[in-house]
Amino acid sequence: MSDTPIEKMSFEEAMRELETIVGQLDSGEVELEKSIALYERGAKLKAHCDAKLKEAEEKVATITADADGNAVGTQAFEVK
Amino acid sequence: MSTLLYMHEDCDDHVTPPGHPEQVARLPAIRSALAGFDHLDRREVSLGTADDVLRCHTEAYLASVKDAVPAEGWVSLDADTHLSPGSLTAAWRGVGGCVAAVDAVLSGEAKTAFVACRPPGHHAERATAMGFCLFGNVAIAAKHALDVHGLSRVAVVDFDVHHGNGTQDLLWDEPRTLFISSHQMPLYPGTGAPNERGAHDNVINLPLAPMTGGVEMRRIYRDEAIPALDDFAPELVLISAGFDAHRDDPLANLNWTDEDFAWVTGAICDVADAHAGGRVVSTLEGGYDLHALGTSAAAHVRVLMERGG
Repeated sequence: MSDTPIEKMSFEEAMRELETIVGQLDSGEVELEKSIALYERGAKLKAHCDAKLKEAEEKVATITADADGNAVGTQAFEVK
Repeated sequence: MSTLLYMHEDCDDHVTPPGHPEQVARLPAIRSALAGFDHLDRREVSLGTADDVLRCHTEAYLASVKDAVPAEGWVSLDADTHLSPGSLTAAWRGVGGCVAAVDAVLSGEAKTAFVACRPPGHHAERATAMGFCLFGNVAIAAKHALDVHGLSRVAVVDFDVHHGNGTQDLLWDEPRTLFISSHQMPLYPGTGAPNERGAHDNVINLPLAPMTGGVEMRRIYRDEAIPALDDFAPELVLISAGFDAHRDDPLANLNWTDEDFAWVTGAICDVADAHAGGRVVSTLEGGYDLHALGTSAAAHVRVLMERGG
């Protein structure tokens, strides 16, 4: 389990831990007593991933390019 | 005729480490919830025998459990499953209670029985203790009914919130049984997918999504579990009665209420009435909120008493 609080995790970090948890729950390696805590952490990670995806959907990044066409940065696209 | 109740104080000597949810206080919670049930026929529980256990487990496994029992303190068989000095005797009472309940019900002493012993049984596999369980009590009861009483069709319905992997393992290749388990998924022990069907299509797994409450549970039982049970036409119905699908349970996320446990009990009794002369033997599995355990077990037993009339 990562030490980073879930709310500060990147999408990739949260997904990685979620995949690990799903694998553990499916494999039966988890203790009965701890299974529920693991499931509940998985549910929080999933909610965080959902929120991150929603954020990304709402903030379509417009790529700014220099004169040669190379990407030099991104700029948030404001939904009107 | 009433409902038989099998409980024994030796089961309070199966002591789990501090903070363990499968705690000594569980049976006192049930005793006190059933205290006013004057018409229950309270029976002594004898010790089970090696013959009973060996119908489902290996000799090596039985010997290893016997050898592991500590003189004091605890020995852990896995991260969940611990033995205290009194655990083996408690487990023998669970086996003995289930076997005695089957004997009594099949000899016509009563139609229904509830065996409230601990440790529970439905996670114990042929050669593996796990999930708080040592011996597969309900599968042992099924084998006893088949091999000793000569029945040809025995059903086991397991509504504990965790999959009954042990019962599934013990009855996997037993075509004279039908095992139906409803359980939360994902959750411990990770097994119990619908494609696990037994060697003879004799296993039916009905996973329930987290937060499943009474409406959806009843739909699944009405549409799937009960018709399958009815088609099987059991001569005896056994129940693995875990009360941890209750909404207050700390180890799972289903949302059943006392009324839901009463409903599912009644639905199972309907099938027993149609095919098995009403004969139902129920045995305690999980249930870790002490108050909810008491009220839902009482709701379950009340229906067994009404139906056992």
